[in-house]
Amino acid sequence: MNSQPEKGELCVIIGAGPAGLTAAYELARLGMRSVVLEKDFCVGGISRTINHSGYRCDIGGHRFFTKVHFIRELWEELMGEDFLLRPRLSRIYYKNRFFDYPLRIRNTLKGLGLVESFLMGLSYIRARLRPEREEKTFEQWVSNRFGRRLFRTFFKSYTEKVWGMSCSEISADWARQRIKNLDFIAAARNALVGAKTHGNKLVTSLIEQFHYPRLGSGMMWERLQEKLAEKQIETRLNQEVIKVHHAGGRVTAVTARDGQGREIRIRGEYFISSMPLRDLINAMDPQPPRDVGNAADSLCYRDFITVMLVVDTPAIFPDNWIYVHSPEVKVGRIQNFKNWSSEMVPDPSKTSLGLEYFAQEGDELWNMSDDRLIDLARSEWTRLGFATVGKVIDGTVIRMPKAYPVYDSKHKDSLEVVRNWIGTLKNLYPVGRNGQHRYNNMDHSMASAICAARAVHGAKIDIWDVGVEKAYLEEAEAEGEVEREKMITAKVIRDTFANYDALAMGTALGLMAAIVLFLMSIILILKGGDPIGPTLLLLSNYFPGFRMTLIGIVIGTLQAGGWAFFFGLLLAHSINLVIGIIKNMLLRQIEIVRTMEDGD
Amino acid sequence: MAEKDRIDLEWKMLDRAVARLRAGVMAVVFGLSAACALFGATVWLLIKGSENIGPHLNLLGNFFPGYKVTWPGAFIGFAYAFVSGAVIAWGIAWIYNFVVHFRLKKRANRKNFLPGGK
Repeated sequence: MNSQPEKGELCVIIGAGPAGLTAAYELARLGMRSVVLEKDFCVGGISRTINHSGYRCDIGGHRFFTKVHFIRELWEELMGEDFLLRPRLSRIYYKNRFFDYPLRIRNTLKGLGLVESFLMGLSYIRARLRPEREEKTFEQWVSNRFGRRLFRTFFKSYTEKVWGMSCSEISADWARQRIKNLDFIAAARNALVGAKTHGNKLVTSLIEQFHYPRLGSGMMWERLQEKLAEKQIETRLNQEVIKVHHAGGRVTAVTARDGQGREIRIRGEYFISSMPLRDLINAMDPQPPRDVGNAADSLCYRDFITVMLVVDTPAIFPDNWIYVHSPEVKVGRIQNFKNWSSEMVPDPSKTSLGLEYFAQEGDELWNMSDDRLIDLARSEWTRLGFATVGKVIDGTVIRMPKAYPVYDSKHKDSLEVVRNWIGTLKNLYPVGRNGQHRYNNMDHSMASAICAARAVHGAKIDIWDVGVEKAYLEEAEAEGEVEREKMITAKVIRDTFANYDALAMGTALGLMAAIVLFLMSIILILKGGDPIGPTLLLLSNYFPGFRMTLIGIVIGTLQAGGWAFFFGLLLAHSINLVIGIIKNMLLRQIEIVRTMEDGD
Repeated sequence: MAEKDRIDLEWKMLDRAVARLRAGVMAVVFGLSAACALFGATVWLLIKGSENIGPHLNLLGNFFPGYKVTWPGAFIGFAYAFVSGAVIAWGIAWIYNFVVHFRLKKRANRKNFLPGGK
């Protein structure tokens, strides 16, 4: 697709979020020139950190963890001593109570009380015995698996807050998709082997601790911007790409507009875009075919508002963030920035919180004035019962459009159409969460950017096929040991959950019982006596026709074999049933965690 | 292999995994259990004592030549029971594994003959 580029060829990168900046950094490492265009006033995209009077606020929570060595090393190199290792605590707040997240049975039962837990158990049994036949909606899908009562308690309100629609309107495909790629082996490994005894430190860190820059997630991207500047790579802020010019199957230039409305055309040989796919297609000049435009327009996004409140108290709750499931308030999550890093607040006697609202650009919440949003956050803070812990003394509002690509029923087909058309432009590489319309984490976005940069440099990589695809990254060999360990544990888990072959078990026990009885009878006949083997003959009470004659022995051994065969069948099925129950219990726990992980 | 494909494959492998019996382990465990049981039962009767000690257990002498409910017999019985238990358990495991192997091979062959099967 691409020949090895000349050193002087310029790559234009659209967007200075984690993906865009990483692409520029990787290109620089490969000895290529690039320029980064960012429409906003700061770098970091959704991972930026806003500074309000010294109080720092992230847009959502951004834990830094990754399986990709190269990215972990890059983070460590950029942050050095400023990369803190933080303990993780996040809980669910529902009906004025905190529930552990991920859900733990004992804590959940304690929080819900005996009666509610009992009713929830009944609801679960009912759902398992009489599931709804249709599984078209998210509501039906979850209810069939966990019971209607658990769905109403732990899924309904939060999911509806995140996606802004009723669970009965959300397609079951979305839930299926989240579970489809469930890595049962990895999850079971964590659950069974346990973090303490497992050699892979990463697994422990995902659950209990994470890395975080001292001054917020944005610090990482500011550092990266500085590093790029040292390498003479320019990051131009307030430059919104409004046109992407293309001809002859290649992008030739982009037109960017600055804060004063001045337009500038930038030519390049390669283009890496992290701008939302919908905007990218709409910016194309000339416009793509109508079906591509329509497909791009049908890609939806969910937007995000953070209201930061400064509370006049040194500590409120120990969590990094809490999920607010209570349906009586609109707030979906509350970040406690001080628990991410103590330096997120300038005054240790104060606490800063981020009350997060999921919205739709242009809806009532989105259009609310900042003052009204702060009032709303303040009143909901009071309504949740926290008002007594301290007085709210300041606040600010941050709006983040297109924070989440929406996986609705149409997105898959639309994305396919858009992807196919973009594929006709040989020098354009979409990367990152919005660039690929993919629910990426930070490290996935960075991995896609690294792969795009390497593709620009001449590597044969399908960037749409990049998750954290190790084969494309340098550390593949370094991770060989981890892979080997994974394979071994995968085998152990497969052996643990393997079913017994009932027919084989029946055959084995049946044959062996028959052989043993036959040999015992023959030995007694050969020894002789009068009567022969009276004690063994007592078996004729159970095996009618069993006698110390050749025919009698055959009749007896056939019956013994038959009974042992059925016993073997029953034994194998019983063991398989117990294994299945344990496996399903584990699966349900994992599914609960997976399904509730939205908005992270 | 893509992450998704790997996970799909692991699911398939997990669903299709059939447990095997470890013949050696089963032989040792069953052999030892049987040996200890017979040794214990013999010794128990000897300690209890009576005029006619263990008439029923003595019948095992029909199958284990030299075995009697006596102190030396307890040790002889231990050896016989160990061998018998081990042979029976090993036999069960061997037959089980053989049938599993045969059935899986048959399943794999059948799949290969199906159009598109691999």
